[in-house]
Amino acid sequence: MAPSQASYAPSLDNLIKSFNSQPLEASIESLIFLLKRRQVKGDECARATAHILRQVVAKSKWHDVDQLLSRVQSAGSRLVRAAPLEPVIGNIVRRVLGLIRDEASEDRNNADDVTSEAASDIQTLGPSAPPPLPRPVPVPIRPGPSAISAGMQVSKSMFNLLSVADPGDSPATGASTPLSQAQPASVHALRSEVMDGIEEILDEINQADDQIAGFSDIQIHPGDYVLAYQPTRSVERFLVKAASKRRFTVIIACLDSPNSGAAEPPYATLRKKLNTAGVNTINLVSNGLMAYIPRVNKVIFGAKAVYQNGGLLVDSGCCIAAQAAHEHLKPVIVLCPVYKFCPEDPSDEVSRGELGTPSSYVSYANGPGVDALEVENTVTDYIPPELVDVYLTNLGPQTRHHLASILADHYKTEDIGFSLQLGEP
Amino acid sequence: MSKQGGKGGAAAGKARKPAKPGADEKREDALQAVILADSFQDRFKPFTLETPRCLLPLVNVPVIEYTLEFLASNGVQEVFIYCGAHSEKVEQYIQESSRWNPNSIISPFSSLEFIRVSDANSIGDFLRDLDKRSIIAGDFILVHGDIVSNIQLDAALAKHRARREANRDACMTIVLRSVGEQPHRAAKARGITPVFVVDPTTGRCLQYEETHPLQREHYVNLDPAVFTHGEFEIRTDLIDCGIDICTPDVLALWSESFDYELPRKNFLHGVLKDWELNGKMLYAEILDNGYAARASNLQMYDCISKDVLERWTLPFVPDSNLIHGQTYRRVKGGSYAEDHVVVERGAKVTQSAVGRGTTVKTGSLISGSVIGRRCKIGKDVRIENSYIWDYAVIGDGASVVHSVIAGSVVVGANCRIPEGSLISFNVHIDDRIQLPSKPPARISALTDDRQPAKSDVSLVGNGGKGALYQVAADDEESDDENGIKRDPAILQSSLIYSLEGLNLSTSSISTLAFEDDYDSDDGISVAGSFQGNAFGDTRDRLSSFASDDALKPDSFHNDAVNGLVDALRADNNADFDSAKLEFMGLRLANNASDSAMRRAIAVAFVRRAAELMKPEHGGLEPTKAAEKALTAKNGAVKFIKEVAVGGEEVAQQAEFGLALQKALSGVRNLEAGRAGALLAAMLQQLYSLDVLEEDGILAWWADKRAADSEEMNKLREKCRVLVEWLENADEEESSEEEDDEDEDDDEDDD
Repeated sequence: MAPSQASYAPSLDNLIKSFNSQPLEASIESLIFLLKRRQVKGDECARATAHILRQVVAKSKWHDVDQLLSRVQSAGSRLVRAAPLEPVIGNIVRRVLGLIRDEASEDRNNADDVTSEAASDIQTLGPSAPPPLPRPVPVPIRPGPSAISAGMQVSKSMFNLLSVADPGDSPATGASTPLSQAQPASVHALRSEVMDGIEEILDEINQADDQIAGFSDIQIHPGDYVLAYQPTRSVERFLVKAASKRRFTVIIACLDSPNSGAAEPPYATLRKKLNTAGVNTINLVSNGLMAYIPRVNKVIFGAKAVYQNGGLLVDSGCCIAAQAAHEHLKPVIVLCPVYKFCPEDPSDEVSRGELGTPSSYVSYANGPGVDALEVENTVTDYIPPELVDVYLTNLGPQTRHHLASILADHYKTEDIGFSLQLGEP
Repeated sequence: MSKQGGKGGAAAGKARKPAKPGADEKREDALQAVILADSFQDRFKPFTLETPRCLLPLVNVPVIEYTLEFLASNGVQEVFIYCGAHSEKVEQYIQESSRWNPNSIISPFSSLEFIRVSDANSIGDFLRDLDKRSIIAGDFILVHGDIVSNIQLDAALAKHRARREANRDACMTIVLRSVGEQPHRAAKARGITPVFVVDPTTGRCLQYEETHPLQREHYVNLDPAVFTHGEFEIRTDLIDCGIDICTPDVLALWSESFDYELPRKNFLHGVLKDWELNGKMLYAEILDNGYAARASNLQMYDCISKDVLERWTLPFVPDSNLIHGQTYRRVKGGSYAEDHVVVERGAKVTQSAVGRGTTVKTGSLISGSVIGRRCKIGKDVRIENSYIWDYAVIGDGASVVHSVIAGSVVVGANCRIPEGSLISFNVHIDDRIQLPSKPPARISALTDDRQPAKSDVSLVGNGGKGALYQVAADDEESDDENGIKRDPAILQSSLIYSLEGLNLSTSSISTLAFEDDYDSDDGISVAGSFQGNAFGDTRDRLSSFASDDALKPDSFHNDAVNGLVDALRADNNADFDSAKLEFMGLRLANNASDSAMRRAIAVAFVRRAAELMKPEHGGLEPTKAAEKALTAKNGAVKFIKEVAVGGEEVAQQAEFGLALQKALSGVRNLEAGRAGALLAAMLQQLYSLDVLEEDGILAWWADKRAADSEEMNKLREKCRVLVEWLENADEEESSEEEDDEDEDDDEDDD
């Protein structure tokens, strides 16, 4: 007899599996409701957005770049509205939009004038350079294997933060391609290029944690006392990686949630992993945090998003840890992959924090007492930039003075306000 | 069962279009759900006169949206909706909804069907109908159309499946939420307390009872069988929100029990009690987290609305904007507002939700309330803990406290709407009206039979529209209950729970009376019935609670006779078998004796025959009437022969004769002469149908009891001719005659 296995509850994995069997609109709508029902949240959002936009590019009907852009924008803004407190979604949409613009401008450059190619390389940095509309007339393009271009552009430009004006940098591949192609072929080529580009964004998302963990031995020194506040998956990976090279002590601080009811103490698997690597761990509930801060060398936690002013969107409680560290002049290290950098300022709602269900703190059984109370359980915190010392991205550690250039590298100015462009549904 | 492959489950979870290749083989894996969108109660009246309960707005979202979203979040693929009242409105709503319309590609369900049952009077009728349709392939989720829940059922489903595979008789899992004795707010439906007796090791449910403050005895009788299970818990701290995971066997159980109406009070109670008969096991899955509640009455509506505003129901909160086109955002003061809400300076909105296009003028205070779309709230209005639906207008200076104001209501300036008022659709209340507070007013523009009500000027003012809503009293019920209303529904019919003015009994466990009741007529003791009180008390318990284990044989007699007479009266050519089945079921349920059965059958047939003799039913002659009563239905004769007489023995046949005679003597409005003629005709008919033999009739004739009173004697005398004829026939012993009779019989049977 078959084991009773099948989980019926919809999830992102099920959704991705079903892409081929259902129309695009249905997929988008399923994702929207997964987001609204919080069945996809946190780090999954970025992956989900990239997947769904890949479907938009692959399946929707479009004949030129403008149509493609508007398809992606409309799908993207629906996703953003579905989960206004998951800014990562907007970031991925902007990345994809930027990617499309890049690909399109390369193509057009090839068509118009090969020699002008170099001039448009830094298109993104000039706010006054909206890409000219592609002509409906047959545009010969480069169908070339530009798979690298989008992804490479990201990483390459990251390594050239201070030399963005270097003209020979990005689309070097474009030069050698044949020029005469018919329009359908151009659409076809653009489609596959953009899809490849999205694949690379996906790769970047998947690899970001490992890349960040690669910097762990630089950040953590032997004998350190590291306070990890509510370690997320990327923080866990970071600590485990560090444990393979260094001997230090980890203090795991977590919320004392009365209703967790789990059989295991929190983070049991992480502690097991660290202990086998020879790293001591200390478990701490958050109200004991202040007492340990003087002993701690650095505080580490993961961010849900980083805003352009350097402020952070984090799980609730992190702000206390950051503030405590700040008072004691201990460095605060925030792990945040580049795709979590938002080219916008925190909204009112963000700074107030998302509200969760009161049931994680008070129980129904508390009865009449709860009736008289108003229980607000904020599940996110906003951390002002001055409390953060190091932003450890997958491209290396940064300070907040460099955030602007990272943002400039990854997003095009015309896409920054994209979610505002579309009005009511 | 064994076909549920691991990958199939996941893939089938998303097969949208039934037409797609491969959809058929996956179908077995698709999770099915049945929504009961009508509860056959009237606790939301007068609002439900115009709108079905499941479309009433709960925090500005129709209640059924929560239910459908709950099912979608659990990966349900196929949904069947049973609607009762206003089914066309519910169907229209679904058709117009871009998300739920089954033809829409964005619908999360692969199919969504409405099932119409024209003659359903209870939830039981729905489920029996469902059984007949055999559209349920495997496990399914049974929910009500008014549930608000964020529970994830995966774990419960997996446990259910494991149990079912281990034992085919584990047919149902009830999902319950444990909340402690004093739950937050009124998380439990107040009034009726469900009592579950559960085996804590296996989760098996052993007994189910309900208690409410109005019942006379404040205790529950435990079934002695419970004690054989070793360990058990008796729990009253559970919210039962009506989520059941069922196998199709459950529907078969419903079909077997034709008289079950309610899923809990009747079905669960009955099935658990008759465990030895049906062998089915029911389990309770008790959860410690998650939110689940049913908006089953106004108090629960109030309570759930508050919970939604306070985010207990996450993700079903206003700013999730689950309905297409909603644009709620959190604003200051712990409130939610949609776009285009104008709150003037000086007005304050706290802990509330305000729908699109609503304007709140300066000086108004709104707290703990839900305001619909496009409402107009005037200056200096005070609204507390109230529910105001779309398009309502509240005039300047009015105050509304803990009330429900339905759509398009106009409340004039400086009105006072006190706690507990219910104002239904399209009512207008003139300026400066103070509504009564005790009892709170229920004002409707319609009467109970959906006719425009004549406006009550003294209540709503000269320019007003609407009248006090009167619940049409159910005559039959009030007869039964000796004028004292003891239905717990009364506790739940108002917005505010109050025991004030109700006559509560104060029994304690020490008044428990152990007194075996003997039925004088039949001499059967009802095992385990604790009935120290008068007969009226028993009826009372019957009407308020179906504790059919405590029935007296009298009620068996009444029910059985009524059932049989109804079957005999029925015009259709239906077989008598179903009536027989029903009768046998009743007999088993009541442990009735043979003599009680015999008496009931005799009375039923005699009553039918006597009825046929009346002018309004054709005024048949006794012989014709007897023939028609006995032979009109296929199988009726066989039924009498097998059940009522129950054997070839002379004594039993004589008993039945006696029973017929007694029954006839008890028939009113029938003069003795005609009654005697009818008795003779029936005996003769039964004789010629081979049910009674000469010896049997003669034994009856000789029985002293047949002549012990004057009346009986009169009847008996009329049969003298028949008896003499029989005696002669006996002497002649003519085989030819018997052959002839046999042939006659055959013709009769045809």
